Amino acid sequence: MSARVRRSWLVVPMSKSEEIVRASRSTADVIVLDLVEFVAEEDKPAARERVEAAIRTAQAGGAEVFAQVDPELLVADLLACAWPGLTGVIVSQLESAQQVADVDGLLAELEAKRGILPGTLEIVAALETARGNHAAYDIGRASPRIRGLTLGRADLIMDLRPEPSGEIHLMPYLMQRLIAVARALGVTPLGAWWRAPARGLLAGPDDTYHAARRGRAIGFTGSLCIDVNQVEPLNRGFTPDDAEAAAATELMTAYRAGVARGVALVEQGDRLVDRGAAAQARALLDRAAACEARAREKAEMAARPPLVRP
Amino acid sequence: MAAHQVRRSGLTMPVVTRRFVDHAWRRGCDFINLDLEDSVPQHLKAHARGLIKDAIPVVRKGGAEAFTRINHDYVHADLEAIVWPGLSKVNYPKAESAEEIRLLDDVITRLERERGIRPGTVEIGANIETATGVAAAYDIALASPRVKEFGGGTGYDMSRDLGVEMFVGFEQFAYGKGELELAARALGLQVRAAPFVANTTGSVSDADRALREAQAARKCGFRLGGGLNPAVVEPQNRGFTPTAEEVEDARWVLERHRELAGTGDTWIVIDGRVIDRYEAARARDTLEWAALCTERDREKAEAVLRTRAAMAEPTPPTLA
Repeated sequence: MSARVRRSWLVVPMSKSEEIVRASRSTADVIVLDLVEFVAEEDKPAARERVEAAIRTAQAGGAEVFAQVDPELLVADLLACAWPGLTGVIVSQLESAQQVADVDGLLAELEAKRGILPGTLEIVAALETARGNHAAYDIGRASPRIRGLTLGRADLIMDLRPEPSGEIHLMPYLMQRLIAVARALGVTPLGAWWRAPARGLLAGPDDTYHAARRGRAIGFTGSLCIDVNQVEPLNRGFTPDDAEAAAATELMTAYRAGVARGVALVEQGDRLVDRGAAAQARALLDRAAACEARAREKAEMAARPPLVRP
Repeated sequence: MAAHQVRRSGLTMPVVTRRFVDHAWRRGCDFINLDLEDSVPQHLKAHARGLIKDAIPVVRKGGAEAFTRINHDYVHADLEAIVWPGLSKVNYPKAESAEEIRLLDDVITRLERERGIRPGTVEIGANIETATGVAAAYDIALASPRVKEFGGGTGYDMSRDLGVEMFVGFEQFAYGKGELELAARALGLQVRAAPFVANTTGSVSDADRALREAQAARKCGFRLGGGLNPAVVEPQNRGFTPTAEEVEDARWVLERHRELAGTGDTWIVIDGRVIDRYEAARARDTLEWAALCTERDREKAEAVLRTRAAMAEPTPPTLA
């Protein structure tokens, strides 16, 4: 089974209802209804009240909907979020397998109570602290609901600052570690390879595209973002481009011709193509097709008239 | 990253070289690391041990803390000779297991009791210089509450153990350094790390380079320095201390952040800069660190004055 195409995860603070409508028109693959990072503490009770309705609004453009919840405010946040229509939750600053078990248990209760198919609500674990990253492997396998790992805002939460090279200190190590752990567990690593100074909140479309493109090169498949203008560059950066797809098609053609001749090692220009190279090209083409299908799906959803509720 | 001590600069010196030890207090260091290990020849090890007790007060005359680096293979003999009042830290080279650190802790605990040193005074510096040490990093850092700062994972020994070259233009220790730093952060220890700055020379006395490295490290949030040549002490003290402009900027950030309260916004962009709780935390950190540096500089200046005054006193008349 190929994983869902989730390249852009647009985070929308639940304190700003007007932004949810904008987000629904943004072509984001996923909209993340945030109750953690961008909602002032005193606004949280009101923000929680808005989630149930926001799930429907956010879905209008064909996006999947996640909610971002705080492990210290778990019960209140999950009660506010776990409604039909929600795909899953991003749990901020996860630090232990026990916390994952707590989330899992609460989600199971809410699924039973609210008519949601058991076991369908997903978890993305945001490993934003050193303790969380240290325990990454145990956290990642603590529940079958876990589908993704991300460093989230680790650079800010761990106070990792730019080096003279422009790399954010420790991030190359943390990214590679997270990707290796995620792949070992068969879950999706989420993130982009940001560089100073244009990262996160301040990154314009170009910097966002390059962060996504570099991110795809080291194994990420999608990333969180906070600005609607970052959605398109993420979608583009995480989608194989036409030149890549053409090169992969050519490679596959050469390889198939070789296999038909009875050889498994085929010369293509000055490259040698074997089963591994062909499998990689195949994966890229599958991914490109999945991205295209996702774009169609979103367009159809957006064109559909709004549901009239009785 | 809470600071417990200001350790921007320090010199590691063989305790057997008298002129280094005698002049150490004039160097302006935050600490002096008296070496019993690699800079002391084998035939002088026993002699060197006997010098530490008296060298401790000598190197502290300028307000520096006194550390000693012991030998990995002579833990008992070395510790008996060095754990005396005035010692702040034992540096243990080539640490490879938690058991080693627990053994050090046991011996130090006994010596503190026997010698009238307040319990827990003497820190352990667990130096990771081998691949085995990297593999056991988390357990080593966790093995004793005396381990208060942790990191590193570079240097000649690590280089030899891993079979990598020492002076190259890329970050050849990225994995090991990352493992150590992650362990330090996960355990809430002071991180000993530095941003990557290519070094292809191996020079130990380049003051400009020392300043650049210290500034880059400070901008990354790091505070721990040290070296081998007196020429790098002042650049490190300066490079690790926030500048007046940075202190002013930190105050400005805190003011802007306070103005966010009650607006419902958690961040704002001013002149292309994000102001949020992370920037505010960083600003508070800068102010706190600047105050600690000022305090430390005053302590050292006063110690130097006291020492000079004592030396200038007329020598008591002696009987002819």
